Amino acid sequence: MQLLEVRKLHFNPAVPPVLDGVSLRIEPGQTVGLCGPGASGKSLLLKILCGLVRPEGGRVEIDGLDLCTCSSAALRAVQSRIGMLFQNNALFDSMTVADNVSFPLRQRAIQQGIRLDEAYVRQLVHERLRAVGLADHADKLPSQLSGGQRKRVALARAVMTRPELIIYDEPTAGLDPVTTARIYDLLRRERDETGATVIIVSSDVEALMSFAPRMVMLYRGCLRYDGPTDAMANSPDPVVRQFVRGELEGPL
Amino acid sequence: MRWAWLMMAGVARRLLRVVALTLRGALRARREPGELQRQLYQVGNRSLLFVMVTLGFIGMVLVFQTCLQINRVTGDLSQVGAEFAKILVHEFGPSLTAMMLATRVGAGIAAEVGSMIVTEQVDALRMCGVEPVEYLIVPRFLASLVMTLVLSIVGTVVALGMGGLTAYSSFHVPPSVFFDLSRVRLGDVATGIIKCLAYGAAIPIISGFCGLEARGGSEGVGWATTRAVVSSSFAVIVLDFLISGVAFFTLQASG
Amino acid sequence: MALVAALGRAALALFREAGGISLLGIYVALCLLRGRIDWAELRRNLYKMGVISVPIVVLTAFFTGGIMVIQSGIFVRRFGAYGLLGWGAGYAVFREVGPILIGLMFSGRVGANNTAELGTMTVTEQIDGLRALAIDPLPYLIVPRVVAMMIAMFCLLIIGDAIAIGGGMIMSNLLLDVEFSTFYVSFADNVKLWDLWVGLIKGVFFGLCIALTSCHFGTSVRGGAAGVGRAVNDAVVAAALLIMVSDNLLTMVLR
Repeated sequence: MQLLEVRKLHFNPAVPPVLDGVSLRIEPGQTVGLCGPGASGKSLLLKILCGLVRPEGGRVEIDGLDLCTCSSAALRAVQSRIGMLFQNNALFDSMTVADNVSFPLRQRAIQQGIRLDEAYVRQLVHERLRAVGLADHADKLPSQLSGGQRKRVALARAVMTRPELIIYDEPTAGLDPVTTARIYDLLRRERDETGATVIIVSSDVEALMSFAPRMVMLYRGCLRYDGPTDAMANSPDPVVRQFVRGELEGPL
Repeated sequence: MRWAWLMMAGVARRLLRVVALTLRGALRARREPGELQRQLYQVGNRSLLFVMVTLGFIGMVLVFQTCLQINRVTGDLSQVGAEFAKILVHEFGPSLTAMMLATRVGAGIAAEVGSMIVTEQVDALRMCGVEPVEYLIVPRFLASLVMTLVLSIVGTVVALGMGGLTAYSSFHVPPSVFFDLSRVRLGDVATGIIKCLAYGAAIPIISGFCGLEARGGSEGVGWATTRAVVSSSFAVIVLDFLISGVAFFTLQASG
Repeated sequence: MALVAALGRAALALFREAGGISLLGIYVALCLLRGRIDWAELRRNLYKMGVISVPIVVLTAFFTGGIMVIQSGIFVRRFGAYGLLGWGAGYAVFREVGPILIGLMFSGRVGANNTAELGTMTVTEQIDGLRALAIDPLPYLIVPRVVAMMIAMFCLLIIGDAIAIGGGMIMSNLLLDVEFSTFYVSFADNVKLWDLWVGLIKGVFFGLCIALTSCHFGTSVRGGAAGVGRAVNDAVVAAALLIMVSDNLLTMVLR
């Protein structure tokens, strides 16, 4: 992944706009934390970044390829290089855990016309499931797992093909503190191992700030902060300051 | 008003896209191994009993009503079986089976695809580089194409059998007189098969489209399923009307 | 062994749902006997169900009339019996085809919608919320819907029958060159008021079947968005089955 660049992104020009002129530039290998109050357009921005939603104006460029104007085959090729962890996991509920995790790998092989060695796939799946601590659950269905287990399966699936860009949408929403710590530990190990570019959204700002060296804040569809995490708490913008410190008094 | 037109144009464009992608996917060789068999089982096996029961009852009612009317006028019941077999083959067998499949299969497809949409599973498919229409709708399309034909044949046979039983038990028409296929022409069989294929193609595409258009939580899935049932049933009625009309004018010479 | 187990499971599921539907029917009847019904809800439901299904009923009826004329056209051409056209189309539409097809469409439009609505209320715990407010959901939610669907079916069937006959008249004029007067005389001389009543009684019964199945499956939803989709699917299938079975029984009773 060379470069991800977003310029003057617009979505839904109704009032108030959901995204209004957002511009971002993310270098390869960076970890970016995306935060902001509820309904500020975070999830939508992620979906636009990976080409699931087409913006009404502006450009999204990955490696110099504009996702908004490229062919659907090229878009699919780019998408299969992105790993995405969905907010509600989006596990395929008709497939077992092992099939879920191996799905991206198999689909990529089909696309590239490669025949996969079945034993290799099985071993790789086992390895990944062991890494997230679920090696014994390979043959279960997602409906038989707990919330934290499902999140870990989704995580294993998102990073299965060693994507160059990984997007995490609320990786710890609704989980208890211990499970949250475990998930962040997994994310950290994954990042250090692969050196992938990471974009992460979370409403747990504290955990997010300890994970990402660069923070981006969205507020009412506009970019309110983009810079190093350390400087955020002392930002001149009262909105950003209040949000990060979690104060009751302020413009929010 | 302008807004309504824009919305309809949008729906038509997206529907055409689904149709084009489905047809292209159906013609291409690359397919998920085992998925087609699974869908054939889903569409066929799980609708078999439903089609047999409903078509059986329909056969009984239709013969009963016809005999009742003929008894009122001429009382000559010897031709009922032959005419019933003919109309069953080119009209009631395929169309009523398809009406049943529109509720059974159409609602099933929309419910499945719709709940995959609202739980973001379709987005997950796309992120794996998979075109959802190709992965979800094409196998169902092929399965439905085959199974509508098979189930129509089953339904026609069951309806004919139950009709014969009714004619025998309520009006004393002997089975040897009732079961008479001499009036069934090649044109009737061809019309029946064309209808089956048209319904079999329309039901999964329309209900799959309704599923893909689902938005919002469980309410959205419910809405999508409702729309799938209504739209695909209505499509069956319109297709029936069109194909019957064409068949009537092209085959009228042969009777 | 697996087959026996599967058959047993299917039979148990069938009896569970049938029992649930019958129990619901008894509760509704008891509520009605005691006059426990929310009149405002009834009015709201009647308006909603009636209005949303008029377009689809009108379209269905029009095409149904056309299909019936095309099908009878085959016989009419062969025997030159143009005088029978109005009678055949009228009799078939009033007694069988009208109630069944409009019933199926009503089930898809209103029944499925009702299941989706009640199902969403169930999974989002709104029905428990009603109970917590000491509102009995039965007279408030279920009874008005059942009554409204029966009345709506009766009214929609009158509209549908009229449109179908009108559509048949237009189609036979366009396709078979039959004069409006010929069609009308044949219709008016041979079709009796009783034929219309048979269809209307059937329609009200179908309305009851659709209402009970859709309410039963709607209130017994389990498992989120996918559950709502499945419930809608089950409800339309069960309603179609009940329509076919009760049609058969009613045909035998109402000669």
